[in-house]
Amino acid sequence: MDFGFWLFQTLNALQLSMLLFLLSVGLTVIFGLMHFVNLAHGALYAVGAYVAATVAGTVGYWAGLITAPLVVAELGLLLYWLLIRRMRQSGPMAQVLVTFGLIFVLLDLTRIVWGDIALGIEVPQALAGRIEIGGVTYPVYRLFIIALGAAIFAALALVLARTQIGAMIRAGVDNDKMAACLGINVERLFLAVFCVGCGLAGLAGAVAAPILSVTPDMGLQILIPTLIVVVIGGLGSLWGAMAGSLIFGFVQTFGAVLLPGLASVLIYALLAAVLILRPAGMFPARG
Amino acid sequence: MFRLSPLRLGTLALLLAAATGAAFASGFAGLEMLTEILILAILVIALDMVAGFGGMVSLCHGALMGAGAYAFAMAGLSLGLPVWAAMLFAVLFTGAVGWIVGAICAGSQGIYFIMVTLAFGQMGYSFVFESPIFGGDDGLAGLARPDLSALGIDLNTSRAFALYCLAALVLVVLAAAQILRSGLGRALVGIRDNERRMRALGLTVWRTKAHLFGLSGMIAGVAGVLAAQHVMYISPGLLAWTVSGEALVVVILGGLGTFVGPIVGAVAFVVLRHEVSAITPYWHLVVGLILIAVVMSRANGIFGFVEDRLSRMSARRAARAAAPRGEPHDA
Amino acid sequence: MLEVRHLDKRFGPIHVTRDVSLRLEPGERRVILGPNGAGKTTLFNLLAGELAPDAGAILLGGRDITAAPVAERARQGLARSYQKNTLFDALSVAENLGLAAAVATGAARSILRDCLAMPEVRETVREVAARLHLSPHLDATVSAVSYGVRRQLEVGLALATRPRVILLDEPTSGIGPEMAHGFHHMLASLPRELTLLIVEHDMDLAFDVADRITVLNYGEVVFDGAPEEARNSAMLKDIYLGSWENA
Repeated sequence: MDFGFWLFQTLNALQLSMLLFLLSVGLTVIFGLMHFVNLAHGALYAVGAYVAATVAGTVGYWAGLITAPLVVAELGLLLYWLLIRRMRQSGPMAQVLVTFGLIFVLLDLTRIVWGDIALGIEVPQALAGRIEIGGVTYPVYRLFIIALGAAIFAALALVLARTQIGAMIRAGVDNDKMAACLGINVERLFLAVFCVGCGLAGLAGAVAAPILSVTPDMGLQILIPTLIVVVIGGLGSLWGAMAGSLIFGFVQTFGAVLLPGLASVLIYALLAAVLILRPAGMFPARG
Repeated sequence: MFRLSPLRLGTLALLLAAATGAAFASGFAGLEMLTEILILAILVIALDMVAGFGGMVSLCHGALMGAGAYAFAMAGLSLGLPVWAAMLFAVLFTGAVGWIVGAICAGSQGIYFIMVTLAFGQMGYSFVFESPIFGGDDGLAGLARPDLSALGIDLNTSRAFALYCLAALVLVVLAAAQILRSGLGRALVGIRDNERRMRALGLTVWRTKAHLFGLSGMIAGVAGVLAAQHVMYISPGLLAWTVSGEALVVVILGGLGTFVGPIVGAVAFVVLRHEVSAITPYWHLVVGLILIAVVMSRANGIFGFVEDRLSRMSARRAARAAAPRGEPHDA
Repeated sequence: MLEVRHLDKRFGPIHVTRDVSLRLEPGERRVILGPNGAGKTTLFNLLAGELAPDAGAILLGGRDITAAPVAERARQGLARSYQKNTLFDALSVAENLGLAAAVATGAARSILRDCLAMPEVRETVREVAARLHLSPHLDATVSAVSYGVRRQLEVGLALATRPRVILLDEPTSGIGPEMAHGFHHMLASLPRELTLLIVEHDMDLAFDVADRITVLNYGEVVFDGAPEEARNSAMLKDIYLGSWENA
């Protein structure tokens, strides 16, 4: 196991982490602000992948990459008005159940619209092939995923820290009743954050489409890792989502090569340990 | 507080009569469905015990059932235990696993409890999936059903096996009722209502939760043993979190914390799946919409809805009876 | 019976309990007075174990319970009531009292017997209900009875554990003066061997039951003495009555 091996695995881990980050950041900020756990987040990711695959097949990859988040954000808008808005006052179990039902509904809807056959899309010309870094040849597209995840993280961190809407979100996460008293339209803020979160799930789906096969149950498969990331990092926190994604990505990737057969157990054991020792996650959003 | 009201007892008697009738009247397909209902009913009784009466919404009961199934299989295949001993071992093993999970999760509340149990369930799933000794993805085959030929019963027929599962369900219902009306069960309801006060009264809360989770695990283990004997083959899919999710859906559909409701839910769920699957391949769409509708209606499932209606009606009747005597009353 | 030695508690920079020492003889009825924010409820939470002190020791019947968890202290005979009702709202009044009695006798740990049906538990329920005038409400759900009844039940839960020492946190808060008076009669009629530590807001009522009075201000004991002394203390009038009139 030389330097090349470590670099290669590190890049793999980073790529997995960034994909998970795109998914978990929406989930975690929605929870932080609205105390709402959306189990259907993974299903939205699957819808994003399908939209991207369809558009990429007819118009082109880049059009798909842009369309998917927009369509999924619209879907989020629809869900918000139909369901989420009415579930705001319900307990965690009712919310978990409604979004669990939503997983089933979205799963079959994607099957009805796109069928049961796995779709695949081509990596765009500009990102095809491999390049050499540090003595390792690595697929350009996977480097693009790492860069995109990092860029989105930087943009979100900047928005949260420096803009007025970011300040409103931070105030809402800290204490939504107080934020409402300060004249922030909390309901509209929820809607905006919910749609952006869903849009990011759609983007994750579009980004993942060329490297994974697009199937109806891809949302179900990604859901558990996403929840783990969010819980390890601490519900509601942007930095927590990034930290959780990195921890998950590295433990999973290096566990798979160094301790084959125990990688997933390792992840779940880590999650259980975090929940027991630090029930609010490693970087909780509020003190 | 848990009570076996006349409505609950009556429904139980009706269900028992219907199941017995179905066991003698049905053909092969009907008996397979009946067996499926009976096993699911045992699992959801276990789940309702902790989720409905203890407020511990577990997403690892599918995994506990799977643990029971695998423990039974391994005890028979690897340890070479006779069938009955393997069954006993499996139930005790699942109970022990449940106790440990319950003890560790006892401090978590609400959404965190759901997440930790989910994590433990998935941990079990990955462990079984990735370990070669459990047959990995291929699962394990060659599982035995008990030999009752001494009693003149051949459990390898569908009818005898369905009746055998029915007998198990009856025992489980009796055991669950006994647990819920014991001191431990009463304390659990107290914890659900006000954990802080229970502690202030002198109860070691985590221990009560762990005991109940362990007992619930034993019942889930019974479901696992029966599931393994039913198909005579097991795979890691038994432990998947979607199985736990489905069990929760059944409990919600029937009525959380109503004791009888989950059994009604199991009947409705299996029958509905059978009927819907005959018409369309999109069964999940239907069950998803039903689940959303039930949760958003805020009724406590099928049985809970009926129970609420009837108790409101009888309260009104009592009020009307009291009114002529000139006593003031509030509805 | 209950002894507190140099108890200290800080929340960040704020010293909420500062070097508090108390000593209650068996059967003593002690009333703690003090303006809002004097640290009375914090002191109770420290005594009951819901908060851990930064320094100092708590002894119950001569045994150090400073590190004992909440439930352990209750099993040693230390019961408490809450300033804000902390009841089993979905259960009936009888079930509330029954649970309290069952936990105290250990019947709530039985897997074989219904603890609410045990004769000793029923007897405790009946007796406590009679003492607190809860008998007519036994079958009513807590959420359906009046605030005054719930307030009585709050103390009833503590009594039903058959404790040696009871901490009562403003037991008469929010109920009318007539009811409060009746309540103090009830307290006075409790078995003499029971040790009572009561946080009370109403001074006159406090003098009805107190053998001795302790006054807290800014987390410190500023007075400890007989009710007569307290009534005549000029210092008390300054720090306590002044703020009382404003409250």
